[in-house]
Amino acid sequence: MSELLIRNACVIDPLNGINGEIMDISIRDGRIVEEVSGNAQVIDAAGCLTLPGGVDSHTHVCGTKVNFGRYMSPEDMRAGRTARNGCMHVTSGYSVPTTFGNSYRYSNMGYTTLLEGAMAPLEARHTHEEFTATPHQDMMANTLFDGNWAIMEAVRDKDVRRTAAVVAWYLKAARGFAIKLTNPGGTEAWGWGEDVSGIHDTVPNFEVTPAEIIGTMIRANEVLRLPHSVHLHCNNLGVPGNYQTTLDTIGLVPDLNKTRQSLYLTHVQFHSYGGTTWRDIDSKSEEICKAVNNTPQVTIDMGQIMFGRTTTMTADGPMEFKLYMLHRNKWSNHDVELETGSGIIPVYYFRKSMVNCVMWAIGLELALLTKNPWQCLLSTDNPNGAPFVKYPEIIALLMSKKLRDQECALLEPRTEHHVPLFAIDRELDWNEIAIMTRSAQAKALGIRDIGKGHLAPGAEADVAIYPLKTSEIDPSTQYQQVIAGFSRTKFTIKRGRVVSRNGEVIVDGANSTIWVKPKVPEEYNLSNDPDFVRKFQEYYTVRMSNYPVQDVYLPRGVCIETEADL
Amino acid sequence: MRIEDVICPFCGCLCDDLVVEVQGTTVVSVENGCTLAHEKFTGDNRLQAPIKRDGRTWHPVSYDEAIETTAQILLEADRPLLYGWSGTNGEAQSIGVHLAELLGAVIDNTSTVCHGPSIMAIQEVGHPGCTLGQVKNRADVIVYWGANPIEAHPRHMSRYTTYADGFFVKGAFLERKVIVADVRETETSNIADEFMHIEPGGDYAVLSALRAIVRGKADIIPSYVSGVAREQLVRVAEMCMNAKFGAIFFGLGLTMSRGKYKNIRNAVELTEELNRFTKFTISPMRGHWNVYGSNEVFTWISGYPFAVDFARGIAFYNPGETTSIDILRRGECDACLVVASDPGAHFPKQCCRHLAEIPTILIDPHVNVTTHLSHLQIPVAVTGIDSEGTAYRMDGVPIRTRMLYKSRYPSDREILEKIYQIVLKEKGP
Amino acid sequence: MKVILETKPRKKPRIPIEAETIIPQNFLRGTDITVFEGNKERVLDDLFYISVEGPAVSPDQVEIILRGDTGMIKRVGEYMNAGRIVVEGDIGMHCGNFMSAGEIVIQGNADSWLGREMRGGKITCLGNAGHYCAAGYRGEKRGVRGGRIEVMGNAGDFTAEYLSGGEVRIHGNAGDLAGVELREGTLVIEGSCSRPCGNMTGGTCMVFGKINDLLPTFKSLGIKEVDFEGKKVRMEIFRGDVANRGKGTLMRAV
Repeated sequence: MSELLIRNACVIDPLNGINGEIMDISIRDGRIVEEVSGNAQVIDAAGCLTLPGGVDSHTHVCGTKVNFGRYMSPEDMRAGRTARNGCMHVTSGYSVPTTFGNSYRYSNMGYTTLLEGAMAPLEARHTHEEFTATPHQDMMANTLFDGNWAIMEAVRDKDVRRTAAVVAWYLKAARGFAIKLTNPGGTEAWGWGEDVSGIHDTVPNFEVTPAEIIGTMIRANEVLRLPHSVHLHCNNLGVPGNYQTTLDTIGLVPDLNKTRQSLYLTHVQFHSYGGTTWRDIDSKSEEICKAVNNTPQVTIDMGQIMFGRTTTMTADGPMEFKLYMLHRNKWSNHDVELETGSGIIPVYYFRKSMVNCVMWAIGLELALLTKNPWQCLLSTDNPNGAPFVKYPEIIALLMSKKLRDQECALLEPRTEHHVPLFAIDRELDWNEIAIMTRSAQAKALGIRDIGKGHLAPGAEADVAIYPLKTSEIDPSTQYQQVIAGFSRTKFTIKRGRVVSRNGEVIVDGANSTIWVKPKVPEEYNLSNDPDFVRKFQEYYTVRMSNYPVQDVYLPRGVCIETEADL
Repeated sequence: MRIEDVICPFCGCLCDDLVVEVQGTTVVSVENGCTLAHEKFTGDNRLQAPIKRDGRTWHPVSYDEAIETTAQILLEADRPLLYGWSGTNGEAQSIGVHLAELLGAVIDNTSTVCHGPSIMAIQEVGHPGCTLGQVKNRADVIVYWGANPIEAHPRHMSRYTTYADGFFVKGAFLERKVIVADVRETETSNIADEFMHIEPGGDYAVLSALRAIVRGKADIIPSYVSGVAREQLVRVAEMCMNAKFGAIFFGLGLTMSRGKYKNIRNAVELTEELNRFTKFTISPMRGHWNVYGSNEVFTWISGYPFAVDFARGIAFYNPGETTSIDILRRGECDACLVVASDPGAHFPKQCCRHLAEIPTILIDPHVNVTTHLSHLQIPVAVTGIDSEGTAYRMDGVPIRTRMLYKSRYPSDREILEKIYQIVLKEKGP
Repeated sequence: MKVILETKPRKKPRIPIEAETIIPQNFLRGTDITVFEGNKERVLDDLFYISVEGPAVSPDQVEIILRGDTGMIKRVGEYMNAGRIVVEGDIGMHCGNFMSAGEIVIQGNADSWLGREMRGGKITCLGNAGHYCAAGYRGEKRGVRGGRIEVMGNAGDFTAEYLSGGEVRIHGNAGDLAGVELREGTLVIEGSCSRPCGNMTGGTCMVFGKINDLLPTFKSLGIKEVDFEGKKVRMEIFRGDVANRGKGTLMRAV
């Protein structure tokens, strides 16, 4: 039995309605408990801000495409290297750090749970291998279905049940967590070098539209009773005028779940552009936020960009090629048979570029114009908008109008006429930041019930103690302290154990991988379905028996089993 | 016992449809595999126990002694080199990288003598690629450049390209055009629809010419480029531009000939250019079955796919400087651990001489050329036959190889883990 | 101040020494400097006989003389920003990496990556230079961005790869693919070379010797008289590389 007592913590725990109370937190064997014995190890939080461990509900840190980002970028690896030190392994990289680099840096910022944003089922084993080398965070993987042939056939047949059965089979095989749609239909079209340009375009050869894929998958998701909703990267990412596609998509969403959203739209900044070209691009954050405010069944994340260099990587292969045509630096693409695609290019976001300035403003506007912080989560779509180490700066920008004004003064001068940001006065408070960085993320992912994102007895003892005294700091003027504080915890506690202290990682981690297994009746088990099996053996280049991820890849797997409504 | 869907641990194709018959600890038959696979599963020149050189003779030693000796040699070295890795699984490779960071060693894999130049090119211009099933299901034009799959990757054409029927290409053999570029006639060039016979060392110029033609600059191309007529170049460019889905596969003929990585870079840039017109992909024909796995594992731990130097604590990468051949040729390293490969058979003489001069330790199941340069050899189980673990196919698809019977040998993972623990104890956490 | 570093005999003389700490500014605070021999950190005194003459208050007053068996010493002058280094013999790889000002003189030969990604200053090599003389870092889009590198002898393959500014002058021959990926700046080769300027997108390369295997994607614009260091020389002018944008200039003496 191991016990830990955190004294004098200034706790903000939005899921339990606690906002800035000074209290003690008792921990036994990795869980929060009511009280501990006098033998417990004691940590004095000394009135510092204490939050549930951070949850990132959309980040790219592990798997084929992420590793290719490293592989192709020795210049990025060179930009952030540390030597082996104590129990810390070597790290390399700035925008696409090595797995240990990601893990340590997240840990130092108080993050304990991450959702990898995109995993192709065929390459799931790779993602899981990297998960075990990301030791300080519990990991989950969004599983890509955007160009899945079996899904598109079921959608074409308007068969929600079969769609659900296909999802169930792949989630189990890939040890995945949730349904991810990246430019649905577009990645299949990209198999021919084409794309779709709206939710009612037809996918070549499959006679379905993105709207049908999205609509059917939302229903299949609820049939399977998955913890998370469908996680959508909308069509037309990064295209001027694409806000209309995003609005059309939000308009599709039925309200099917009482405990969370029915659709999660990710990195919405990249999907909120007005205008018709890069010259007349403008922010449509007001329209998007109006729709979000009126549609409680959707949740979004920001996809904030920050100025400087980074690497973009997404399953959205056609979008990356378009981006490559603009940047002309280097371009990788990796299409995955029967499933999806992906692309990677390095980028640099410039303050001198009006387009980049508009993008920067939109991300912040989304967070400031969405009334309910539970509906808009903080993200950069790491590393697409910026590496996650920029989160503290984003927090400071959201908490301080003064800092925003300072930054706005440095933007390309025309920006002001293209965005509403300059006129927005809202400053978020500590509680809202806590919501947007952990509590709402845990709720949106449906992992509150397994003890994530809050600190009530029974919860996982993942705790972040920041060197910030909320009563003494005015974030609207003392934003430098806010940035420094959120960059480096005093203590990061993972499952009841202090893993990082004042920016130094002090133990070898031992994370869990959380995955979802929907239980379906035998007649919906596609392993027995002759048509599914035949197509699998004919068109994949891997045999069906060699496809599923073996248990050995999840040494500390946590399986959420759901009872499908089939 | 008959085992189905067995994965072949020979080449980068990583075929996973073999049917293997096992009796006790012997493979008695292999179905579906090529002749290379057959040889791999049924061949047997395993070393029986660890052996240590004593002057001109070898003595058997215990595993414990061999492990202890290895750890001490590595700990004493000022510039140890850990080389090989492509013939073992990802789990063992991972221990290898951690061992290297702990020791301050250089770790390198066999990419250094095969597709290292491809990696260097990709680091300059990226890699428009895809999984092999995309090619099988969609491609109507296939280009083999400096590669002879019929001999080196015997089932590549039947599983993934020329003869492989796919969803959109029902009659592959009739519907697919095959273009071969090489400096000599090969079995593969004999079945090509179009064979570009290039003068040795002329690949770069031919690729440049093709790029210019695709960009609409055919008029400036001279009538012959490195032995290839302009008319043929124009014809090939048009075939590519008119393809619905084209796929280039290239081999060591392109990576190891004059210009090396700049050849690959040129081919990648041609591919990118073609994507303005249609869909085109390019892929290296990786040799060893898990060389791509070693690149992947090295990368997620250290940030670099091969030739990683930890001498300074941080990871440093610079092919030409931190690559094994260069380190050995300059006589830099003072101890070498070879795992699951045979540099003695592939490295230049000067490098082999240095390997023989320093304490070289070989962890490999078989007696091979490197045995004769070594100070100590530790035999282990063969991944994919009597040991299991993760491998990455040439296109990046990860597959778990199988253990067909219980081995009497330890796995290389177990041996490396023990060495690692001794070194860790010595070096402190 | 004059700092003389003369190598001491070593037990394993072929293990490279990494000595990015050997730059003028570091010696203002004395000679308490460490370098690496393989994976072992050594104090300077372990590897060199050190003598210091005279004072200095700023790095531009410091001159470092390297003497003895210096051919395996890497990264000398890396990030150097003032002062002078004279190598009396050969020097190892990466001499003058990223240097921004000051001067390095090598009286013998230089190993590969001489002046890699140099920003400014001057490097003179009286002997030959290895491969990748004046080249870029792996994966980086811009190589040497300023300054001047002059090699009195020959240079190896990939000379001035990714050159993006500044001036590189090779008095002897250059190897294969000199000026490959050239973007900006000037490369002058007085001797011969093969396949120069593959994939160049800008900048200028002048070759006064023979060009072997001129790439087929360079378009001749004819012969012109060109000013070169105050003299008029007759050169055949090519635009290239048209496999790429074709905005660079390659000149060949006629």
